[in-house]
Amino acid sequence: MSEPILEIENLSISFFTRAGEIPAVMDFSCTVMPGEAMGLVGESGCGKSTVALGIMRDLGNNGRIVSGSIRFKGRDLVDMSDAELRHIRGSEVSMVYQEPMASLNPAMRVNRQLMEVPMIHDGVSKGEAEARALELLAAVKLPDPERIAAAYPHQLSGGQQQRIIIAMALLSKPALLLLDEPTTALDVTVEAGIVQLVRELGEKFGTSMLFISHNLGLILETCNRITVMYSGEAVEAGTVKEVFDRMRHPYTQGLFRSIPRPGADKNVHPLMTIRGQLPLPHERPRGCNFGPRCDHFQAAICDLGDLYMQPVAGETGHDTRCARSSEIDWTAPPSGLAVHEPVKPGEVVLSVDDLKKYYTVASNSVFGGGEKRTVKANESITLEAREAETLAIVGESGCGKSTLAKILLGLETATDGDVKLGTTEIGSVEIQDRDTRTVSSVQMVFQNPFDTLNPSHSVGAQIIRVLEQFEIGDSLEARRKIMLELLDLVKLPREFETRKPRQLSGGQKQRIGIARAFAGRPRVVVADEPVSALDVSVQAAVTELLMDIQRSSRTTMLFISHDLSVVRYLSDRVLVMYLGHVVEYGTTDQVFAPPYHPYTEALLAAIPIADTKARKKHIVLEGDIPSAMNPPSGCPFQTRCPRKHEVPGDQCEREVPAMRELANGHQIKCHLSDAVLDSMESVISLSEPTGESATEQPTPS
Amino acid sequence: METIGAFAIWSGVTIQFWPVWLGLAIIMGLSYAFKHRLGLYGHLYDSGVGIAGLALVLFWILTAMFADTIAPFDPIEQFGLLKRKPPGVIESGSGIPFFFGGDNLGRDLFSRMVYGSRFVLTIAPAATLVAFMVGITLGLPAGYFGGRIDTVLTFLANLVLAFPVILLFYLLVTPGVRETPIPTTMAAVFFMFPIIMFATLFKTGYGSRPVLFWTLMGFTAVIGGWLYLGLVFNRDPLGIVGLDPNELNIFAAVVFASSPAVFRIVRGLTMDIKTRDYVAAAQTRGEGPWYIMLWEVLPNARGPLIVDGCLRIGYTTILLGTLGFFGLGLSPESPDWGSMINQTRGFIRLVPTIVLPQTIALASLVLGLNLLADGLREQSLKD
Repeated sequence: MSEPILEIENLSISFFTRAGEIPAVMDFSCTVMPGEAMGLVGESGCGKSTVALGIMRDLGNNGRIVSGSIRFKGRDLVDMSDAELRHIRGSEVSMVYQEPMASLNPAMRVNRQLMEVPMIHDGVSKGEAEARALELLAAVKLPDPERIAAAYPHQLSGGQQQRIIIAMALLSKPALLLLDEPTTALDVTVEAGIVQLVRELGEKFGTSMLFISHNLGLILETCNRITVMYSGEAVEAGTVKEVFDRMRHPYTQGLFRSIPRPGADKNVHPLMTIRGQLPLPHERPRGCNFGPRCDHFQAAICDLGDLYMQPVAGETGHDTRCARSSEIDWTAPPSGLAVHEPVKPGEVVLSVDDLKKYYTVASNSVFGGGEKRTVKANESITLEAREAETLAIVGESGCGKSTLAKILLGLETATDGDVKLGTTEIGSVEIQDRDTRTVSSVQMVFQNPFDTLNPSHSVGAQIIRVLEQFEIGDSLEARRKIMLELLDLVKLPREFETRKPRQLSGGQKQRIGIARAFAGRPRVVVADEPVSALDVSVQAAVTELLMDIQRSSRTTMLFISHDLSVVRYLSDRVLVMYLGHVVEYGTTDQVFAPPYHPYTEALLAAIPIADTKARKKHIVLEGDIPSAMNPPSGCPFQTRCPRKHEVPGDQCEREVPAMRELANGHQIKCHLSDAVLDSMESVISLSEPTGESATEQPTPS
Repeated sequence: METIGAFAIWSGVTIQFWPVWLGLAIIMGLSYAFKHRLGLYGHLYDSGVGIAGLALVLFWILTAMFADTIAPFDPIEQFGLLKRKPPGVIESGSGIPFFFGGDNLGRDLFSRMVYGSRFVLTIAPAATLVAFMVGITLGLPAGYFGGRIDTVLTFLANLVLAFPVILLFYLLVTPGVRETPIPTTMAAVFFMFPIIMFATLFKTGYGSRPVLFWTLMGFTAVIGGWLYLGLVFNRDPLGIVGLDPNELNIFAAVVFASSPAVFRIVRGLTMDIKTRDYVAAAQTRGEGPWYIMLWEVLPNARGPLIVDGCLRIGYTTILLGTLGFFGLGLSPESPDWGSMINQTRGFIRLVPTIVLPQTIALASLVLGLNLLADGLREQSLKD
């Protein structure tokens, strides 16, 4: 048995602020063996990034390692001096951060930044360093490495930048690679490419990895072992298979139950949310940190004193901090699930017919001269949405979904085509020219909960302002009453009326955003990635809230997202967009089952699924999403389409495909012949269950 | 002439300032005790820089308030025998010493220094405030609307900024120009801005609540109108508020010179803040542009604006000193520090200390304001 590369023992890190000492990580232990990939999972505030920064000894002015040890190859990092640490950082321990643009120096060319690494750590000559840099750029599968090496970071896309960061991290062949949410800022298909790259390089170079993420599916695909963290402590650790199939901590079980998985349907199997809130760092309960939110809490056992990691009965290498892990029945279905009647959609509320939106951009922006170029943000979009229906709009960055949302809301006007709300034409009417009732009928829930509320006004005042604008209620008292009822609707306490947004968490702010959108009793609500910036368990709560409100008010919801598992879970119809075009349109069942448009197929294959039983086809798209200023000729997807060779001749490069109807209402925009489409297999399949598993579908009570 | 020694001078001066020491002790003591409840002001007491800045600024504010008690002599009274006398000489009539000596016309430098603070502390903050209103009212639309409005306003701002400041003042404040209606017109225009801004603020924010709106508009009209008449045209019916033509001239010139810088800052902040989601949320509920600018964008720009405000009061103080130095200030009699420096600089070789009181006073106030601004910036960034 070889020596572990990294051995963290009883690590405690605290931050010292004006308000006193705030413990961020408490009694954390973890071991990474050579060649192993360890996943660190938890939600925001659990301390996982702090652990990574602690290993790099980069805790800022306020943070300090209070106790414990971090042994890297036998030497304790906590005791080392700055000079010794400089030796290790970058050469033996490297880190890849979340934001690729923020990690690259915008003023230096890529090759210079890459060359720094071997020149400083290995002392090689410039020529040798340049050769190594080019070699590694090829190893991270960047096309045309010479051109990229000579470029500046802002000239490259997010996916390319992140690959360069990974190349930089691997240049001096480190023994340990720390990755802190490396793909959160990237598109789904790009993420799939990075994940595959990381896995391959790990195997090729034998680097050990510590992969931090909140995405359980991603951890399943990349890691061998996993540690789950909650509120500063590790609560469960073991191999990925052990933890995913035989979880032994209520928090891990709660996390899994709040993720929509293939086969889940919003009416029959709603998402389970973890009740309660993450405790504030200085208000942690005695005993088990998860106690107040746990369904299996028992007074005398769980809050007695500090709990420590214990091995799970009957397994080696699988530890848990749950004091009752051997007593709880892990296969029991969750109780208190409400089953809902599926809602019958009503008549058509919103109809979009052949919508086009083109922006003209001057190629020389300083003086406005030069030829004008057209950015075709939306091209021939046709869709219908009925009352009480959820229409999901799926696509990655640059597909035009935000532009569509803006046109619906009146922030932009259509270049061509009709948009009708009921019988009123709104596509060519800007927001200033719309009457109050139309304005209040189409409202939006924004993506970023941290920016969606004005930080200077109290929450109650902001909702009351919306009511004033929409002329709801006759007096201040009447409006205040309605505002309090809205707070009840989104399940927030009435005391929040006077709070400022900075006193609320991300999930609470998003609930206020939802209250604000529904304040005017709208007919159509456009939700632009409303939950993607939130934690997993909070996502479940907010998604369920949206569904509840929609059910009772029979509002049409346009749900924009790139997360196909959430889309599968809650939408009735799906619209898939790529580079301004609609490539597939139909009911959820039609879109998620073959025949697929090749892009939909790739999207489905790219979504990480947190289910050991799920088997996915392996489809990874090459390259990046093309720029909307310079779209490919013919079909927009032809530059990356894995099925291009199945169309005879070069039809894909010459002609834009026409929208064809496959089955009842199922339309796709593709040149593939019917024969090929019929032969497509399902992308995701569930294999036979292997023994007792917590991924069993819960039965309603 | 009898004189008193150095020790007697300093102890005498310290005793003269007793209202200020008392005031400082009370204010700063109470603030320190309750600093947790006082928001950003309370946080200033956590840093040495903040406390030093506050102390200096409060010192001069209290001096201006209690000038009558502190100064032993009238600032414009001349004592022929005490011209250019060194510090410590005793005035034979009253038996009280000239602590810092006499200036070139035999006036007590200490008293003039003390009264000089009044001039600076009334004009500089007020001028900065009006400059801020002008800058905000112009900067918000320039940043928010962009396009041609932005181009025109920025060009005008650059024009004023590019013009040499001293020359600008010479043009605006010379006696020849003072006779023309230019200064009054400028003042009339500038003083309209606060009224317009408040009126727009109330209209957009409270438009749908008629009772509240008309009450506030009433207040604005009455108070605004009263101040306007009094300050601009010196025709206050109640006789309380008034500026003589010199002061008005300086006021208008200072506002004119400071507004473009504020305009630039506000424009930059607006261009950043308007990209936020909450502004888009306001647009999607059909809010008018002025509501968004005044109620959504402006409150979130207050951090950098407060810091700039402190610094700008400092710049304005120096500017007033410069004006006085060039003789462009008030009448030669008035005790403002800039004019004092100008009148006494010729005698440095004879009596080196003759220039010191007013110079150190000016420098210490500006230092205090800079330290205060630093402290505010530091504390607003810390958690």
